[in-house]
Amino acid sequence: MSWTLALPEIVLAVAGLAILAGGVLPKRDTFFPASMAVVGALLLTAVLVIGQEEGTAFGGQYVSDSFSSFMKLLTILGGALGLLLALDWNEKEGLGRFEFSVLVLYATLGGMVMVSANDLMTTYLGLELLSLPLYVVAAFNRDDARSSEAGLKYFVLGALASGLLLYGASLIYGFAGSTNFDRLAEALSAGQQASPGLVVGIVFVIAALAFKVSAVPFHMWTPDVYEGAPTPVTAFFAMAPKVAAIALLARVLLGPFGDVAAQWQQIMLLVSMGSMVLGAFAAIGQRNIKRLMAYSSIGHVGYALMGVAVASDEGLRGLLVYMAIYILMNVGTFAVIVAMRRGGRAVEQVDDLAGLGRTDPGTAMWMAVFMFSMAGIPPLAGFFGKLYVFLAAVQGGFWVLATVGVLTSVVSAYYYLRIVKVMYFDQGVGALDRAPASLSVVMAGTGLFNLLFILWPAPILAAAGAAAAALLA
Amino acid sequence: MFVGAVFFPLLGATISGFFGRWIGSRAAQWSSVGCMVLAAVCGALAFAEVAMDSRPATVGLGTWIDVGGFELAWALRYDTLAAVMVAMVTLISTLIHLYSVGYMSHDATPPRFFAYLSLFTFMMLMLVTADNLAQLFFGWEGVGLASYLLIGYWYDRDSANAAAMKAFIVNRVGDFFFMLGVALVFLTFDSIDFSEIFAAVPQHTGDTFLGLNSIELIGVLLFLGACGKSAQLGLHTWLPDAMEGPTPVSALIHAATMVTAGVFLVCRMSPLMEFAPNALTLVTFVGASTALFAATIGCVQNDIKRIIAYSTCSQLGYMFFAAGVGAYQVAMFHLFTHAFFKALLFLGAGSVIHAMSDEQDIRRMGGIWSKIPVTYAVMWIGSLALAGIPFFAGYYSKDAILEAAFAAHSLVGGYAFICGILAAFLTAFYSWRLLILTFHGEPRADEHTMGHIHESPVVMLAPLLLLAVGAVLAGYLFYDFFVGEHEHAFWAGSIVNAAHNHIMHDMHEVPAWVPLAPTVVAVLGIALAYFLYMVAPGLPARLAAAVPALYRFLLNKWYFDELYDRIFVGPARRLAAVFWKIGDVRIIDGMPNGAASLAAGASRGAVRIQTGRVANYAFAMIIGLVFFVSLFMLGLR
Amino acid sequence: MGTAGATTDMTIGLSHYLTVGAILLVLGILGIFLNRKNVIVILMSVELILLSVNLNFVAFSAALGDLAGQVFAMFVLTVAAAEAAIGLAIVVVYFRNTGSIEVEDISTLRG
Repeated sequence: MSWTLALPEIVLAVAGLAILAGGVLPKRDTFFPASMAVVGALLLTAVLVIGQEEGTAFGGQYVSDSFSSFMKLLTILGGALGLLLALDWNEKEGLGRFEFSVLVLYATLGGMVMVSANDLMTTYLGLELLSLPLYVVAAFNRDDARSSEAGLKYFVLGALASGLLLYGASLIYGFAGSTNFDRLAEALSAGQQASPGLVVGIVFVIAALAFKVSAVPFHMWTPDVYEGAPTPVTAFFAMAPKVAAIALLARVLLGPFGDVAAQWQQIMLLVSMGSMVLGAFAAIGQRNIKRLMAYSSIGHVGYALMGVAVASDEGLRGLLVYMAIYILMNVGTFAVIVAMRRGGRAVEQVDDLAGLGRTDPGTAMWMAVFMFSMAGIPPLAGFFGKLYVFLAAVQGGFWVLATVGVLTSVVSAYYYLRIVKVMYFDQGVGALDRAPASLSVVMAGTGLFNLLFILWPAPILAAAGAAAAALLA
Repeated sequence: MFVGAVFFPLLGATISGFFGRWIGSRAAQWSSVGCMVLAAVCGALAFAEVAMDSRPATVGLGTWIDVGGFELAWALRYDTLAAVMVAMVTLISTLIHLYSVGYMSHDATPPRFFAYLSLFTFMMLMLVTADNLAQLFFGWEGVGLASYLLIGYWYDRDSANAAAMKAFIVNRVGDFFFMLGVALVFLTFDSIDFSEIFAAVPQHTGDTFLGLNSIELIGVLLFLGACGKSAQLGLHTWLPDAMEGPTPVSALIHAATMVTAGVFLVCRMSPLMEFAPNALTLVTFVGASTALFAATIGCVQNDIKRIIAYSTCSQLGYMFFAAGVGAYQVAMFHLFTHAFFKALLFLGAGSVIHAMSDEQDIRRMGGIWSKIPVTYAVMWIGSLALAGIPFFAGYYSKDAILEAAFAAHSLVGGYAFICGILAAFLTAFYSWRLLILTFHGEPRADEHTMGHIHESPVVMLAPLLLLAVGAVLAGYLFYDFFVGEHEHAFWAGSIVNAAHNHIMHDMHEVPAWVPLAPTVVAVLGIALAYFLYMVAPGLPARLAAAVPALYRFLLNKWYFDELYDRIFVGPARRLAAVFWKIGDVRIIDGMPNGAASLAAGASRGAVRIQTGRVANYAFAMIIGLVFFVSLFMLGLR
Repeated sequence: MGTAGATTDMTIGLSHYLTVGAILLVLGILGIFLNRKNVIVILMSVELILLSVNLNFVAFSAALGDLAGQVFAMFVLTVAAAEAAIGLAIVVVYFRNTGSIEVEDISTLRG
């Protein structure tokens, strides 16, 4: 058994313990140094992930391949950027406690474990390691009723979801005789009809993972939690957990259950279409921008799941490209939302952006770039994300899915463009505060990515192609 | 080296564009100048290796687009044609960057200006080193964008904004044809890669599209695209207005580089154009007409920059008809020499304007030659080169063009030759009209302005002098390579003359009077200008009064703008009004409003289930779960 | 190892365990969405669901003669403890802010 294979996770976990110990000892506030240490640890982990060998460890519980590396890097990126967004905000809101950064670290670690899970046990442990810190950070603003309500809601529904996952896992274990993905795959490819008990188990697992990625009909918690949680936490919610859960979903469905694809495909088609439609329509009337982003993220998950639903090589590649682009346009958008302050107080209505085009042209320009990218308007990155999943759907013959995708992206363009309109053409009540430098850097970096993706898509496409091939091989 | 020549300008643009605010205006300017110098060194080295040593290269930069079996790569195609352009663009651009340091010293936001200028250079280099039509189109649109930004650089002036809009729209018309051409290329050849297209041309000569020969149609469409960018007759109206931009911009973009992109395109596509004789006839005809037409207008304009702008338009006409008769090498030669002396003239004009406290009307200048002697001298050199006086750069290239037109022995070739000779006469005339009115005679400016006249600083004069050297020597030094005896080895297949095209040989065997004719008419033109404006300065006004119709006709630029207003803009406005009344109010507002209220209804419905109660959410999850389980069970059976 | 479905000699078999597990699961789920009063009841319902899962795992483990299920059950027990602690902490925070733990009151965020 080569425990060294899991070195990235081990290093990150130990670093988390060290930062925790280092944060407790001194009397004064250590949020900033602890956050920097976490970002450093995440970077180190990313380097280790890049150098990670392929193989399985811990009795087949843990797997490392190029798929896991790709998704782990995205998870780490989401975690690190989410923490960067929180730096300035938490100080200003009086939430500058070092535990925050440690919680983000462990949530990211949980995501990484999920991505590398090759056994239902690892799946469960990773999922809980991800969820428990998330419950806490959602309620992190403990003197705010909305934040604690968001935490409570997320906790109750999250516990229900992990209960369902476990129940599904127990059924799969009982009816297939193993919890290991490789042995499950063998059992299922043996040719005999899958038993009803096993089928029910699979659906339960899908439901629990769909809850984590907030896909319809397991999305109900998303708008409320997104609105109530502190804004940087919302940003984090929209990134690392989504990537990890989608990676796990893809691995479970296309790996051990790949041979019964015909049966779960129907479900994924419905989930994907439902998410796209709900994401497009429910966001139209929203005035709170965090709530709007919640519905928008539901829609984006719908597009990404198209890649799972078509269950093909191209589909999986499209999914991976989509997630990479999604992360980078989402973090940019949230950088703008986190920067929204007037007179030192955070504001979060769409109308608060009015007049931004005149008062802060730089931020407004980046926000416009992100909105256009989210709406999937060429030549921005978001367009290519959609293009690849749509192409995969068309090639797989899923015309209805592709049509629904195109129609909903037209509908959703409406509310993205409305934000641009508000920024440039509406009369504002007053200028927003100047965006802090850390956020401006994030905006500029992700904005440039969105603008320039068209010039150099090759590296991401190649990496996604290799990752998809690794999973389906 | 190959990559550096193209990407240093981008680096410069990034530095001064994004970090200009932090590192300060001065550092931003000099860092972009520094990047340009590096690019120019790389460009010169590339020119030496590719063109002089005949070692063409293609540098791959990575995959660009890979969609459903259609693959495109970023690559820099360095053959002689590209190397000539790269060397020329980087050199001139470097000099103009340097000049701008002085010229823009009183401006409020120089980093923005330098960022645009460097961005433009990068895009232009992308265009000339493109390996496929998509990359060329990228550069093509990029230079258009940079040009738009630079014309409208002083965005608080209404006229600058209007000119920028006009340039943008007129160029879109050309781009539309260009895109159609690219689409047809893809349809015909199933590829937009240059080497693949050129290799496949002979097999597709018989192809037709909508009953027309595909190759001919491609040639015409691409030429119409080139017309927009290179301001040929019909789509020329934006160029004089583009002089609203700062003068270094006029020199770089609207004289030396961007406007020649159209000529470059025709030369780049020479393997294809050679199989499209009718398209070439059109090119010749339009080019020759533009050369003469623009020259006539140049004779009566009063704005110093507009005169030079019309002269640019006219010289571009020369290049086009040279390409049209099949002498692409000659067109490139004129493009090359023209870049030097036209940039020189523009920068000289800029120096004059700088000295005259931003006065641009030559009727309010005069008598200043002794106060700005260096500028005066370089303007003379530029004008001599432009007029084609022997042993200056323009002489070699313009002579070669007229010889080629004569040697074509075709009807349209003859037309081009006559237009060319007449235009050469007018060119000399308006050049000396400009020189005399600007520098000689009685001072016509007010006391205050005259008191402030000063020679420009060294940072502006140095580029002028370097360009002057180029304007004197570029023709003599490179004649043998571009069109003379080493021509074949020099171009090394980057320009193709079909088997039936002997023009490069024939042009050296024309009757003896043909090479002399341009010089003679140029001298006559100078003499006429000297007579009218030095000897008898009252005469031009009386002439204008004698034939008022002709004078007004020329002064109003053949009424092209009015014509377009009447034919396109007016009806378009009326049509828009009709559409607005019927279409917008009834249909557009009616139908989408219906759809919008439907969407809003759906939105309300979707939001209504979001009650905020945990119990309801859990219930929804369980319902979904049960639904999926039953679906799965049904699917199993 | 129990004999599935052997009811004649009244041995308790796998199916009995599974039935009890299923009943506990349904009770737990019903407890979450039919309960209108108290958040604590929801926490208890969650524990009930985990209990049913553990019962399943152990029963399957015994039936299959495979230890993995029991290992899984140990993990679930451990994590459940942590989960309950966090849940109670959040309930306390919520109570401090609103002075109530009525389930009906947890609905200010909506739409």
